[in-house]
Formats: sequence, C-alpha cells, structure tokens
Amino acid sequence: MATLPPIPPPEALPPPRPGRNPLALVVAVLVVAGMLYFGLLMARRPGGHARLTTATVAPDFTLESLDGKSMSLSDLRGKAVLLNFWATWCTPCKIEMPWFVELQKQYGSAGLQIVGVAMDDASKEDIAKFAKDMGVNYPILIGKEAVGDEYGGVPGLPETFFIGRDGKIVDKIMGLKGKGEIEDDIKKALDTGTRASAAIEPVQSQNKQ
Amino acid sequence: MTSLPNSQSPFSGKKNRRVPALWAASFAIFLTASAAAQAAGDATVTITPNSPPVAGKVPSVVVAPVALVTAPRAAQTMVNLDFRVPRGYHINSNTPKSEFLIPTALKMDLPTDIILGKIQYPEGQDLTFPFSPDEKLNVYTGDFRIVVAVHPLLSVTPGKYIMHGVLRYQACDNSACYPPKSVRVEFNVKVVKEPAQHHANPAQSPHVHG
Repeated sequence: MATLPPIPPPEALPPPRPGRNPLALVVAVLVVAGMLYFGLLMARRPGGHARLTTATVAPDFTLESLDGKSMSLSDLRGKAVLLNFWATWCTPCKIEMPWFVELQKQYGSAGLQIVGVAMDDASKEDIAKFAKDMGVNYPILIGKEAVGDEYGGVPGLPETFFIGRDGKIVDKIMGLKGKGEIEDDIKKALDTGTRASAAIEPVQSQNKQ
Repeated sequence: MTSLPNSQSPFSGKKNRRVPALWAASFAIFLTASAAAQAAGDATVTITPNSPPVAGKVPSVVVAPVALVTAPRAAQTMVNLDFRVPRGYHINSNTPKSEFLIPTALKMDLPTDIILGKIQYPEGQDLTFPFSPDEKLNVYTGDFRIVVAVHPLLSVTPGKYIMHGVLRYQACDNSACYPPKSVRVEFNVKVVKEPAQHHANPAQSPHVHG
C-alpha cells in the first residue's frame, strides 16, 4: 500500500507571497480594456463596402424617388453619375445644390446624370418642398440606411460619389468642397468609357422626380 | 450664450500625480466605458477633454455630471445642466434660423408629481461658416448651459428621485453635417419638506409694548 508523503511542518512551507505587483495588475487591466475597446469598435464598423475605393464598382441599389417610382443605379449604366448623399438639415448640402443644378444643365447632354439621395428623417413632402425651393432639376431618391452602409456608412453629409460610365467609382468627396473640384470629378467620370456605350445602353430613368 | 469660466468648469477633473496606478486604472475604466458607450450607440457617459475634430467621425455632445439637487416641496428649484460641444463642431441652437434645421432640444421625463418648469436655453451665437458665408447660423459651440426648473408638489414623499431626459442635437463642422444624435441626461433630486411657514409672533409685534 502506497504511503502518502508526510505533511511538512508549517515552517517548511514556502513563505506567503507578498502582495501582487499593482503595476502588473494595471497593465493587465489596460490590455483587457484595450482589446475590448478595439474589438467593439471593429464590430461596429459597417460591413460590405465600408472601404469603397476608386475603380470599385459602385454598389447597385433601388430606391423610391419623390414621385413614387423606383429607380436603380444600374438603370444609369453608360452615363456618368454624380451620386450625392444629402439631407434637408445639412446646410453645406444646400450650398452645393445650385451648383448641381447648373452642372446638370451644362453636362447633361454629354452624359451626366446627377442623383440626390436624401438621408433624412423628414417626410417625403418636406423633402419635395425643399428640393422644389432649391430648383432641383435632377432625381431625388429617398435614402435608406442600408444603402448608406453600402457606401461606407456616409457618416457626414454631403458625401458625393462620381461614377464612370462603366459603373466604377472614379472619385468621392466628403463634405463641402469647391464647385471647381466637383466639376473636375464630373469630367473624369465623363471621360470613362465612350459615348457610344451610352448610346448602346440607353438610360431608362431621366429626371424621374 | 452662457460660457463657463475654466476654473469653474464642471468638465475639469482633479489630477493626482502621486498615484500613477490610479491614473492608469482610471484610463482603463475610461476605455471600458467608451467601449460600452460605443456599443450602445451613444457616447454620452464619459467626459473627455475637448479634442479637435476627426474627419468622418460623428461628434458627440457630452453632459457634465450634476451634483445632487435638493428641492423643497411646493417650490421651484433651478438645475443647471452643462454640456460641451467638441472643439471644431457646432450644433444648432434651440432657435435655428431655418425651418429645416434641427433645433437643440431637451426633453425631460419626470416622476409623477414633480413638475418641470420652463427650460431655459442659452442664446445661440450668430456665426457664419465657410460653407455659408452669406448666411448666419444660430449655433452653440464649446460649453453651454441649459437651466431647468423642477417643482415637487406637496404630494411628493420626501426622498431621492432620479430625473431622466434626452438632449437631441445635430452637429456640423466647417464642411459637413452629421446625423442628429441624442445624449442622455440624468440627475438626482432630493425632495425635502417645504420650509415651515413663518407665523407672526405677537411678542415681536411692533404694536405690543411690554
């Protein structure tokens, strides 16, 4: 029968450990808190196309216009598209709108189609009144959060994407920039592909509002 | 607009340089609290130093902690609520100049028998911005104070009550605007009995001469 080793006398036991190093404890807490923080930040990032870059095909969507019709981005393939996310409460957006009206007139015949997406809690009637007051001559669509997420979350407004005739993103502008910069990006978008392709794939939706 | 002197800023915190471990622990708590607030979609619980704007980051207005308010029954007690708009941003005042702009508004949800008096908003500043050089906007920037009046009725049992509310605002910087957000507001009110009524003491009456 196996015998258990004798229990050592108390004085033979290792001395009790002094208190843990408080600095090590703090470092451990910091590491855990940091991991939690960044983990949650990453989890909150919008999925899908959170990092849209140039040459990425612009995510397609179908949204309702102010006159109740559905409009898809893919309807405009063959045209250069200026896709502008805006809201009625966004004062910088209001500054751009007259520019867009002018640019639509100026470059519409060359194949430009400006599209506004209202990321707004306001009623459709209020959005329509705002657009009418601003003299908007391009389609305004009622935005959805899911579409905003596809375009990187659209954290601030205005945010404008310039999409080439081939459906790829040429450039984007966050916030209000000068009219000249917007016009330069429109020209870049118009320069993609050929006008022939626009003729081959006729645009189904023009000024649907 | 109410501006708060730095020395009395409810946002300023005490520093204890002799206890770095405590400082580090506080930082850890800050990180954890920030993560929790982010997860809740509402960065409202942490008072942080006023930092410059970060492009694309939705700014959050923060509210300073409110000390316990002692409010006698049958009387109105004013409560100061101090808010801070991050540096580089502005929010619309309570009375913006356009019907389409979203005003800053406080909505309180008080317990039964505690009446909310008038909410006093500070006057906004009329400012022009690079995106709107010809149009002045009425806005709050930096620190601002909203004063609310609480009025416990006689029927309220003396004790401690929690007042809840929400401040809704919409922020912009010099080139972009951000979706409307809300910050939770909460403070404690200790309701006490109304002061005793002072009855005329005949012995002190000027008409009585001993």
